[in-house]
Amino acid sequence: MDWGNCKDILVFLEQKEGKVVNVSLEALTPARTLAGLTGGKVLALAVGTDNAAAAEKAAPLCDGVLSVEGAAFIDGCSDAMVCALEAMVNKYAPAAVLAGNTPLGRELTARLDARKGLGSVQDATALKIDNGTPVWTVPLYGGTVLNDVVLDTLPVVATVRSGAFSKPEAGEAAPVTAEAVEVPADAIKTKVVEAVKEISESVNLEEAKVIVTGGRGMGSQENFALVEELAQLLGGVVGATRPAIEEGWVSRAHQVGQSGKIVSPALYIACGVSGATQHVSGMTGSGYVVAINKDEDAPIFDVADVGIVGDVMKVLPAMIEEIRKRKAE
Amino acid sequence: MEILVCLKQVPDDSVEIHLKPGTEEVNLDGVTPVVNAFDTYALEMATRLKEAVGGSITAITVGPEKARDAVKTCLAVGANQGYVISDPTFEDADTLGRSKILAAAIRKLEADAGKPFDLIFCGREATDRASGQLGPQLAEALGTGVIVDLVDIEQTDAGICAKQETEEGYRKVESALPCVVTVNKPAYDPRYPTIKSKMAARKMAIPVLSAADLDSVEPGKPTAHVVKVFEPAKRQAGVKINEETAAESAIKAVDMMAAAKLL
Repeated sequence: MDWGNCKDILVFLEQKEGKVVNVSLEALTPARTLAGLTGGKVLALAVGTDNAAAAEKAAPLCDGVLSVEGAAFIDGCSDAMVCALEAMVNKYAPAAVLAGNTPLGRELTARLDARKGLGSVQDATALKIDNGTPVWTVPLYGGTVLNDVVLDTLPVVATVRSGAFSKPEAGEAAPVTAEAVEVPADAIKTKVVEAVKEISESVNLEEAKVIVTGGRGMGSQENFALVEELAQLLGGVVGATRPAIEEGWVSRAHQVGQSGKIVSPALYIACGVSGATQHVSGMTGSGYVVAINKDEDAPIFDVADVGIVGDVMKVLPAMIEEIRKRKAE
Repeated sequence: MEILVCLKQVPDDSVEIHLKPGTEEVNLDGVTPVVNAFDTYALEMATRLKEAVGGSITAITVGPEKARDAVKTCLAVGANQGYVISDPTFEDADTLGRSKILAAAIRKLEADAGKPFDLIFCGREATDRASGQLGPQLAEALGTGVIVDLVDIEQTDAGICAKQETEEGYRKVESALPCVVTVNKPAYDPRYPTIKSKMAARKMAIPVLSAADLDSVEPGKPTAHVVKVFEPAKRQAGVKINEETAAESAIKAVDMMAAAKLL
């Protein structure tokens, strides 16, 4: 690929209440691979009202932090953020622009593409280099089919899937450069008037070593407590399928699957989960899968290392008791 | 309120799609084309808004002429009129190209009707590619605001107030009109057609607009090139345990987890 005069790799650091989201830091890893090709720097771009915490977090993981601060850049104001992103792309002429595949990351890259006539890939799960050209792997049809894709516009624009890349190793803190971006008043077309936090628990499914997930087969909120009990016993995190969340047994922060979190724990225990594609595509990266389901033909058994055919309401209490007994020994 | 709903016909997402064995060809044999699920949510939200404040809904899609079926489905559950935007030169358009085609079609429909659309609905993503690019790119092409991931919407004096889903809860976001919104799964399900509404939809004409009908639209060449199509490595199914009692099954499973040093 001919990079022309474009060298640097720009990574958009998404923040929530001043805290940088994990997938943005993970995106610094494919950025490093690309910088190896172009001979440029990995630049992390923080856009917010106060970037101090995000800059501190990213500085040891990249070659430079660009900090665009201002009252306009409040969480949710994508109109202002896309202005900042576009201004930095114009100033630094990067070879690639990466972001996490979050609603904001998707929106900003889509709008950047429209403004600059660029192609892009979304939800990249892998990056290979073939003869000097970046080749991105992206999922189709909920992940049952994968495409390897190359882009022929510069900068290369991609959003990356959460959990697909690991964060880079920390090194020496890179310099932080303050950048000023004026947002024209007519660029702001939408206004955030209220932000409501309904889910206060912090659920870290992406970094969990053990996940115990409950599905529709758990039957009730009362029964779902067993999933929570086993997760706690194993020092793990509670996962859930969409039906369990729609039943209101647990908040959607716990959702594993295509429209939730993509996870890869060492141990994944699926309780009363049938194994719909939308769910399975979010957990096939798990190390060891245990499934409990009364239906012998449930598709979840096709991806399970150990499949227990039986009533989850009988198997789970017995499993909890047995593990508790062994822990006590 | 004049409302436009953009929709895409996709393979039925309740069917697992695979490749034809030994090829790089996606096997869509026998898979029914349906209206993208998120577009059906968008239409339902639009219809509820129309029922609350009055107005009219137009459904459009860019695709082959057979995408008319998708528009027809929408006419039976809330849309008042529908169009298919179809042209051989549009066939390999990518999402950015389709946003330009839609923008040109919108300008054409607005000129014909002598009034602009107030609100343009799209699904948050299509279930086939899930790129989520179209809504924001259409807003850029039209020069309007965009609010993504709605789970509810209401009319205000100044325009609309949208309930946008976030990871922790939601935001209320306001915009003047016109505006583009993309819709996530709301708390309600799309309505079903009745026999009467289906019959009525069947009788309605669904005009096809071609490139010649639109004002100078250049979708451009696709910039993403697929170099390989493949399936992810499959997990091997392991052992199945089905002992006499649940307790025996549980103990056996715990033995295996312990042997794998996972406890």
